Amino acid sequence: MKKNLKVTPEGTRDYLFKECTAVNYVCKKIKKVFESHQFHQVITPALEYYDLFSIKSGEIAQELMYKTFDNTGRIVAVRPDSTLPIARMVSTRMQNEVLPVRLYYNQSVYRNNPSFTGRYNEIMQMGVELIGSKGKRADLEIITTAIQSMQAVSSDFRIEVGHSMLFNALADTLEVKDSIKESIRVFIENKNYSALNDALDKLEQNDTVTAIRKLPSLFGGREVFEKAESIIKVPEALDALDYLKSLYEQLEKLNLGDKIIVDLGLVKRNDYYSGIVFSGYILGYGDAILSGGRYDKIFDAFDCPTGASGFAIDINYIAEKAKYRSKSNIPDVLVYARNEEDIMDAIAYTSKLVESGVKAQFSDLPDEAQAREFAAELGIKKFEIYGDE
Amino acid sequence: MKPLRIALTKGRLEKSTVALFEKLGYNCDEIHNKGRRLILNIGDGDFEVVLAKAADVITYVEHGVCDLGVVGKDTILENGTSFYELLDLGFGRCKFALACKKGHNFYHGYDAKTIATKYPNVTRKFFENKNMDVRVIKIEGSVELAPLVGLADGIVDIVETGSTLKANNLEVIEDVTTISARLIANTASLKLRKNEIEDLVRKMEAEVK
Repeated sequence: MKKNLKVTPEGTRDYLFKECTAVNYVCKKIKKVFESHQFHQVITPALEYYDLFSIKSGEIAQELMYKTFDNTGRIVAVRPDSTLPIARMVSTRMQNEVLPVRLYYNQSVYRNNPSFTGRYNEIMQMGVELIGSKGKRADLEIITTAIQSMQAVSSDFRIEVGHSMLFNALADTLEVKDSIKESIRVFIENKNYSALNDALDKLEQNDTVTAIRKLPSLFGGREVFEKAESIIKVPEALDALDYLKSLYEQLEKLNLGDKIIVDLGLVKRNDYYSGIVFSGYILGYGDAILSGGRYDKIFDAFDCPTGASGFAIDINYIAEKAKYRSKSNIPDVLVYARNEEDIMDAIAYTSKLVESGVKAQFSDLPDEAQAREFAAELGIKKFEIYGDE
Repeated sequence: MKPLRIALTKGRLEKSTVALFEKLGYNCDEIHNKGRRLILNIGDGDFEVVLAKAADVITYVEHGVCDLGVVGKDTILENGTSFYELLDLGFGRCKFALACKKGHNFYHGYDAKTIATKYPNVTRKFFENKNMDVRVIKIEGSVELAPLVGLADGIVDIVETGSTLKANNLEVIEDVTTISARLIANTASLKLRKNEIEDLVRKMEAEVK
């Protein structure tokens, strides 16, 4: 049998030295933002029962999950997401705590993407969850935290904000099957104007159909609201639009100009999101790097209905794009113990050097010639022999 | 600012797209005299054009190394996942169709049908919508051969004039969907370079309508 000794599974990789430094650097910056908003860290298991990821309003496609069985035959999934495990944790372990609670995580998620697409299957993610509150204050704080996190890691970014109830309210008034509504939603999400027009042409033409037709092109700055107000007639949709506008007006106080985009065509999974939705992009990476919103409905599955919002940032890509130059790994001094009885003293001497601020390393090679060669090859400037002849 | 980078599907779609750019007043001399180069400039450095195979156009756009792409709807249906489909360019028109041997009653009987195709995803989806569980076999070359030699009951393939089908005693039983060239955009690019992209889309839209 061919043994897979020299490759890692597709979508995974090793991180060496400077690559780790870059990851740590990015995590530290984001952690600082999270903690400044009083979010506190939790860790959930990498393995969860499959059932957790197949709840009604948060279902994750089963082909996307790595699965195995526990010893009683129950299906276990390697977590493809951290929000559902946290919802499980909060609704059980924290049921007697004072709400709202603010949590953050810094842990990988695992997704079995199709082969040879170049996507990561092990994705390092940091994210926050604000659980137990609804409304404008919560929404604004969560969006602001997202914006500050993007600012911490990139100077050229965009955050787009939308509202899931806008499309839902419009779609509710259409008298068509749910499957058609869902395909209309997907056409808007993909800004697929031609397919959207084809689908809408088959319906009875009215104000709502006209408004839906325009949704994917309604993104940009403040002018979006004026355009939308003139074409949207459904009261619930107008409520959502008004709400979004009031959020946008508050966010303008951050003076970020066109970095904040309103996108009325941002209609992410509508079984999951129940209010604001937002995504973040950075220059040089082709997909959203940050994704979040309000998902109150997921807590219904745990018999613990409450408000919930949050977002996750993918770290791998940011760390890759960030060309942070870390300091050299090469020590300044290599300490070699002349005799075997000097070893312990030489190790202690090396520690003392390090304490005094010198980058010193004890040589673990068996003889002086090898140690000297190692120092020369690596370019270690000083070679010190410890112990008497 | 970097020029917008557009991936074009080599061949027929490339020619039609270049013609469209020329109608919009962009200088495409570099493409006409490209030699073996794969990255070319058009206009006065307004755009950078990348020539690629159809499925690769999608890959380059999805990863964001190209901002825009011109690719057939056939390739999108078979390979597409996450990007914006902004415009139906109108050219490259043809259709996906289900065909079988002339006179053969394809839907007759309860035995599982075997379909040969270059487009397994399109085929699977088409039959799923008909509540039919079929066996799909992927063929790389001339799909028309499969029913003739007895490998498959039918084929799902691109049909333009139908002359290959006719010459091999096959006929179309049903159209699956129509196809034409589409302008696609990377999701992040559309957000980060909205004005430039919208400007081009508007110009193209006015021309192809």
